[in-house]
Amino acid sequence: MELKNLWKEYDRRIEEAKTINLKTFEFLQTQKAKSKLNALSTFKKWVIFAGILWIAFLVFLIVNSLAISKIYFVLSLSAIVIFNIIAVAVYIKHVILIHEIDNSESLIEAQQKTAELQASTLQITRILFLQTPFYSTFFWSQGMINSNPTAFFLISVPVALLFCFASFWLYRNINYKNVDKKWFKILFGSSEWTSVVKAIQFMKEIEDFKRESM
Amino acid sequence: MGTLTDTEEFLQLIQENKRIIFKICNSYCHNKSDREDLAQEIIYQLWKSGNSFNADHKFSTWMYRIALNTAISFYRKEKRSGSVVSLGEHVVDIKDDDDGADALQSNINLLQKFINELKELDRALMILYLEEKSYGEIAEILGITETNVATKISRNKEKLKQKFLTSNH
Repeated sequence: MELKNLWKEYDRRIEEAKTINLKTFEFLQTQKAKSKLNALSTFKKWVIFAGILWIAFLVFLIVNSLAISKIYFVLSLSAIVIFNIIAVAVYIKHVILIHEIDNSESLIEAQQKTAELQASTLQITRILFLQTPFYSTFFWSQGMINSNPTAFFLISVPVALLFCFASFWLYRNINYKNVDKKWFKILFGSSEWTSVVKAIQFMKEIEDFKRESM
Repeated sequence: MGTLTDTEEFLQLIQENKRIIFKICNSYCHNKSDREDLAQEIIYQLWKSGNSFNADHKFSTWMYRIALNTAISFYRKEKRSGSVVSLGEHVVDIKDDDDGADALQSNINLLQKFINELKELDRALMILYLEEKSYGEIAEILGITETNVATKISRNKEKLKQKFLTSNH
């Protein structure tokens, strides 16, 4: 049987069975029904809240350590604060964009925006990787350098430089193009990254779908 | 009619389009509870987007875009979480499929099954094709060119026919 005829028959049977019984519409006005699709922005709002608390804590530590003897600590924490502020700002921008997604746009436009926002956690992660070298410098002090300069220059400085190189490399390479690379799968293989990886895969599907195929 | 803010008018439109809502729910959800949640979500999104409806545009294009976008987002969310958490009392009841034993019903079930096996966007494309939307309107709803619509429909039709042939052997 022709596919369209089969579909029409399906349509006819639905009509006969009156399969959708709309009980009440009060929920539309009273907002009893909460959209399940808002969960993404709810999660992001919690992350923003946690991020602001973390920044406030770091600022508190900085303010209470303002002394020349703690210069490495203050500078390292200040750098960490800057990267965290950038990350929170990007998160806030994403929450705004989630609310701006318009379901009456074409499927390609709306789904692409949704998938990009789901995958955006990756963008934040690469920004946050840039702060890692400062976790290897915050405990430095002039006293530590003076008491054992050899250990400082042979161990502490190379470790910090290694962190700098690794974090910058990750910042440059954590992107959608590398999702199939082995190192990427190891780094983002755990279950909490599943939704991000799936969103990236869906973005690829959308690109394939948009492509004119001959 | 400028917007869809009038409740009576909105309810009337939902009643008129309930079959397509049902078919979309059936194509993106595998069990009754999910289908009811999705139907509720689609109606909620249609109501919420009522102000965005512009009488200069075709109603069906607007409705299909919202219903299919909601269905795909819902489907992807449910697939990720792997479980369904009910929102409480359902405002929409959808009866289970009529599992009639006749050959026609079995073909309808097969068609539904094969459509469910397509990727999310191909599924939307084939629903619109089977709903006899013009290539122009399908292109507008999906956001791709008419040529692309034609090519993809032809491929998917072939895929579905092959599946029917295989299942009948």
